[in-house]
Amino acid sequence: MAGGLSLYQEGASLLHRAHPLTKGVLMLSAIALAFIAPSLYWILGIALILLILVIVAGVLRRLIAVALALLLPITVLLLAVQGFANPANHTVLFAIGPVVYYTEGLYIAAIASLRITCLVVATFLFSFTTRPADITEALMQRGLSPAMGYVVQSALQIIPQTLDMAVRIQDAQRSRGLETGGSLPKRARAYIPLMLPLVLSSLVATQERAMALEVRGFGLPVKRTNRYEFADNAIQRITRWALALAVPAAIVARFVGWR
Amino acid sequence: MIEPAVVFEDVGYAYQEAPREAVSDINLRIGAGEWVGITGPTNAGKSTLCLLAMGLAPHFFGGTLRGKVTVLGTESRAIKVIERSTDVGLLFQNPFTQISGARERVDEEVAFGPECHGVAQAEVEERVEETMRLVGISALAARHPLDLSGGQLQRLALAGLLAMRPKVLLLDEPTSQLDPAGTAAIFEVLGGLHESGTTIVMVEHRLETLCELCPRIVAMVGGRVVADGTPQDVFGREVVQERVGLPVYTRLARSAALPAPWPVRLAESAKAFGAPIA
Amino acid sequence: MGILNAFKVRMNTLAIVLIPVCIAIDWAGHAVASTLKLPLFLDSIGTVLGGLLAGPWVGGLAGLITNFISSGTVDPIAAPYSVISLAIGIAAGIAGYYGWHKTWPGRVALYILIVLVASIGSTPLNMGLYGGQSGLPFGDSLYAGMVKGGWPTWLASYIDEASGDIPDKLITVVVAIVIFFGLPNRYRALFSVWRRTGDEKAPAPAPSV
Repeated sequence: MAGGLSLYQEGASLLHRAHPLTKGVLMLSAIALAFIAPSLYWILGIALILLILVIVAGVLRRLIAVALALLLPITVLLLAVQGFANPANHTVLFAIGPVVYYTEGLYIAAIASLRITCLVVATFLFSFTTRPADITEALMQRGLSPAMGYVVQSALQIIPQTLDMAVRIQDAQRSRGLETGGSLPKRARAYIPLMLPLVLSSLVATQERAMALEVRGFGLPVKRTNRYEFADNAIQRITRWALALAVPAAIVARFVGWR
Repeated sequence: MIEPAVVFEDVGYAYQEAPREAVSDINLRIGAGEWVGITGPTNAGKSTLCLLAMGLAPHFFGGTLRGKVTVLGTESRAIKVIERSTDVGLLFQNPFTQISGARERVDEEVAFGPECHGVAQAEVEERVEETMRLVGISALAARHPLDLSGGQLQRLALAGLLAMRPKVLLLDEPTSQLDPAGTAAIFEVLGGLHESGTTIVMVEHRLETLCELCPRIVAMVGGRVVADGTPQDVFGREVVQERVGLPVYTRLARSAALPAPWPVRLAESAKAFGAPIA
Repeated sequence: MGILNAFKVRMNTLAIVLIPVCIAIDWAGHAVASTLKLPLFLDSIGTVLGGLLAGPWVGGLAGLITNFISSGTVDPIAAPYSVISLAIGIAAGIAGYYGWHKTWPGRVALYILIVLVASIGSTPLNMGLYGGQSGLPFGDSLYAGMVKGGWPTWLASYIDEASGDIPDKLITVVVAIVIFFGLPNRYRALFSVWRRTGDEKAPAPAPSV
């Protein structure tokens, strides 16, 4: 079955129906604001808003499933390292044996990991509610070159195909006696025998594909016709502008003393 | 005088860094609306002929082109392949690498060519629906192209080309992936196109098929044209019999020592054997 | 200036079609490394190979888009580093133009260049976004030790990042070069977007006779 990459999940929520551009701007602004905002409470606020949107979109369960695995390791590392070693540390909070943890470092770690959480949640919110085809279509409507649109769409199909081919090559090589288990050097030696055939077969079709594209007129300098229109309205347009302007406004605010 | 659609004048072509030419001394005039079959053993230069007519040789492959290839009045050196694609279509042998790889639905895949040509959306949809119906893949409209069988893919590729409404259609073994039923369906489509005036140049190995369908056959051996005429003429020539082969009926008639000229089509040979098909 | 010549290529259809293939090779390189349980990312092999084969546009775009796609599907945390992948692809493309990968001193230079681009590029991002950490346990413990020992944060952060990049980019560059020379000659000539003379000729325009 083709097309395994997309995270898109069917739905009819407000977010699903919104213009891809609106969601894209929302994602980018949320991430930017999370990293610009100076204190824990502001970032927590942004995270909460994102959480509400996630619930509205109906993707909470999936989000928890994928986000936790990503966020846990980095959060642990941040807390462990910053709480212990941050140069701003001087207030002892607790100690585990000889290792002392300070409030300042833990606070900084909490901010960093909350920001990363906003990054992850905002990105997944976008991915769960937007079809990849819609993303490329919206971008091309706004000026992305058709060649680049093609590159992204083709990549989304070729990646799962290539990963499948990697498995087949691995089976084939193993049946010819290639060792893929055991010590690290042994496993490392298997890398090139697996990669080289993979790259070769990936490149073989490239010439034919390029010819087939030219035969269909790919690259003609014509004005692009929109394949379909996205529902848009004044509210969304205003939202996009407001979100976009919020970012430089926040930067200025930081300079004039936003704590 | 029929306006020629495809003209080869003293054409020779060698691929980049190839020791010899792939085709030499080709002189061909194909009139508008003709249906010409190209046949020959492997490496006879048949595919190269198609690539030359399309312009992929020399534009895509580099190499050295001697002589002049003129299609629909424009010399191939003077026009880019993508510009040529407005009027000329080329169907490659391999269906799997012919699809764009950037569309998730069969109907969107068919629409790819017209979209590249800037055709208005409403008309794109019309053409897509029409060509899918023509080649018989309407039922597959919502499927993912990669889920299709080889035969379905080849029909999809043909639909994608026909959606651009080419005046000249170059086909490199269009039915290699198809079963007999699928093959018959495609040839019906081609027959319809031929009737409406499309020039068709078709490379085909199956000699019986060629003789049934094409009023004119060009036989190639070793990069040169060795025979050019009606199926009867072409398969009456010794060089063709030895180097290319014979349709099975013709071979039967020959070994049964029937008098020349030997039949090349099913109906004729049935009559020649005294068992006319009703 | 000489370097700009590396960028002066018309992106023909072949180059455009090569980019998604390089993106897929990036992904496959990482997947195979995971399957073999190798402790390295190895997610830029396609980027570097694309740069060596077809220049900075192909390499850069491959790196950038690989990162975009993985940020949107499996690892959003890597998103800000898209610009680093872009830079690596461009660096590989420029090195490819000058043929660094063809000589031993050049290969070492290519490796050093890529490590420097990756580590120097990522460090400010690490410092701004992730408290100076790279997110890798080994590197981060180095960071912790150095900061605790009084070293400047930026240096500790750089060493943290470099400790991961040095082995990862070494294998990446080695594999990319081995694959490059493991390809049949005509592939290298086919994808070369620069008009050069020498053992790798780009398709020349047909002479009118």
